[in-house]
Amino acid sequence: MITEGSALIKVDGLYKYFGENRVLRGISAEIDKGEVVVIIGPSGSGKSTFLRCLNLLEEPTYGEVWLEDKLVTPVDPYLHPDVIELSKTYQSLFSAAKAENPGKSDEALKDELIAKIKDEDLLNEKHEGRAYKALVKKIYAENYININLARQKIGMVFQQFNLFNNLKIIDNITLAPIKLRGMSKAEAEEKAKTLLERVGLADKADSYPSQLSGGQKQRAAIVRALAMDPDVMLFDEPTSALDPEMVGEVLEVMKELAESGMTMVCVTHEMGFAREVGTRVIFIDEGVIQEESAPDEFFTNPKNPRLRDFLSKVL
Amino acid sequence: MSQSLWEIKWNKFWVSFIEHGSYQKVLEGLQNTVIIAVAGLLTGIVLGTLIAIIKVVPGKNPVLTFLKKLCNLYVNYFRGTPMVVQLLLGYYVLFPLLGIRMSSLMVCVVIFGMNSAAYVSEIMRGGLLSVSSGQMEAGRALGLSYPSAMMRIVVPQAVKNILPTLGNEFITLIKETSIVSFVAATDLCQAFRDIGASNYEFMVPYLVMAIIYIVLVLIITYMVKILERRLRRSDH
Repeated sequence: MITEGSALIKVDGLYKYFGENRVLRGISAEIDKGEVVVIIGPSGSGKSTFLRCLNLLEEPTYGEVWLEDKLVTPVDPYLHPDVIELSKTYQSLFSAAKAENPGKSDEALKDELIAKIKDEDLLNEKHEGRAYKALVKKIYAENYININLARQKIGMVFQQFNLFNNLKIIDNITLAPIKLRGMSKAEAEEKAKTLLERVGLADKADSYPSQLSGGQKQRAAIVRALAMDPDVMLFDEPTSALDPEMVGEVLEVMKELAESGMTMVCVTHEMGFAREVGTRVIFIDEGVIQEESAPDEFFTNPKNPRLRDFLSKVL
Repeated sequence: MSQSLWEIKWNKFWVSFIEHGSYQKVLEGLQNTVIIAVAGLLTGIVLGTLIAIIKVVPGKNPVLTFLKKLCNLYVNYFRGTPMVVQLLLGYYVLFPLLGIRMSSLMVCVVIFGMNSAAYVSEIMRGGLLSVSSGQMEAGRALGLSYPSAMMRIVVPQAVKNILPTLGNEFITLIKETSIVSFVAATDLCQAFRDIGASNYEFMVPYLVMAIIYIVLVLIITYMVKILERRLRRSDH
């Protein structure tokens, strides 16, 4: 499947179940280059899980994630009618339905059955036959991007910073560029120092993470992600684990990053940031997108009752 | 005046130890003890780390599941039987059946290494699980493969956490070498037993033997401490 347009990230029909717990229940979204998308929602609404599906830290149960027109996740057969049509399940349903309603057109039957198979989750990978498998394989082979390669283009910043405790800040930053981008040590260190200077941490290059404050750790973590020259940055509640007086310094760095044109997807509770820096705000609750719009519209004229309720509590 | 009993005993030991040259046997025994324990520990760390990683890798791939079962079997065997039994089985059953001819010292090194691997794997598994999962996630999110993230980020932190326990394992190995005479290898213990048997005077040799073991263990304890201090640089 070739996607039209040039969305940087395209999410199609994303579902994520943890056992009985249905965290994401069908999310589709597109993120364009240069956008700063802010995702808000009550805790447990699935917003972090959604973010973690984008770089496959969580593997979606159903759905596909595309990065720059390359498939990051496995192929989801339910999103490809031509795949469903080749399945044994479809074929046996089709001949049965044909015998029952000889008058109906093939086209109408086909649409009906594909919808039925999707709704009732009838496909079973193991028993759908060779042609089905071959097409799934072909779609994957034509579109996939190696996950480690994809992740090099997607920077991620975590709530708990997750700096590598056994490495100095400078080595935290240069590890991936040296190992994955084939940079020389000197080159990578020079770049790291420039970036550290940009976030005001030039003097911390030779410190270990445990010697830094929370705000400094998070700024260093942002630099670590930036050092790979990512096409998009994901922020998973980057200020939630910080002492209040340190929140500002991290938001400042994020704001500068947004102004420099970086594409960003931020899960956050910082409504001020969403309003000021965001180009689009998405409200997720109960695993679906309840509302999305430009920040002004979003905050001054919320339509969804859940969102209105949520905003009345947090603003 | 007659000599005291201790003087007589000490002189007997001294004659045997220096004048009859049995110090050479002690040196050989000491050397073997250290070789078996060090080689055993190194093998144990490498093999044990591998087993531990196999055990903690998430996934349901059939090859992996099979490997996990194999590792469990391995660990259960080596933790479930006495080391003497493993040594005897290795020396008299396993290696002859496999047609492998090895010196008894080599057999000891191999068996001690395999035994140590079982214990180290459990220690290491605990160490790997003690490293927060965010460390692996951050590595993977940067694009590192699972093995690179494991080796560059998780394992070094795990090793630091388990260093005191690894020191214990080394001490256990040093002491366990006293059983290798079961397969005709000479260690520290066997050397002193021979000295005692040569003139039926056991008291002094065994006391000296105990002192040497204690000194060995104290040296190891000190080295582990230094190593710990060096590795602790990263958490002030």
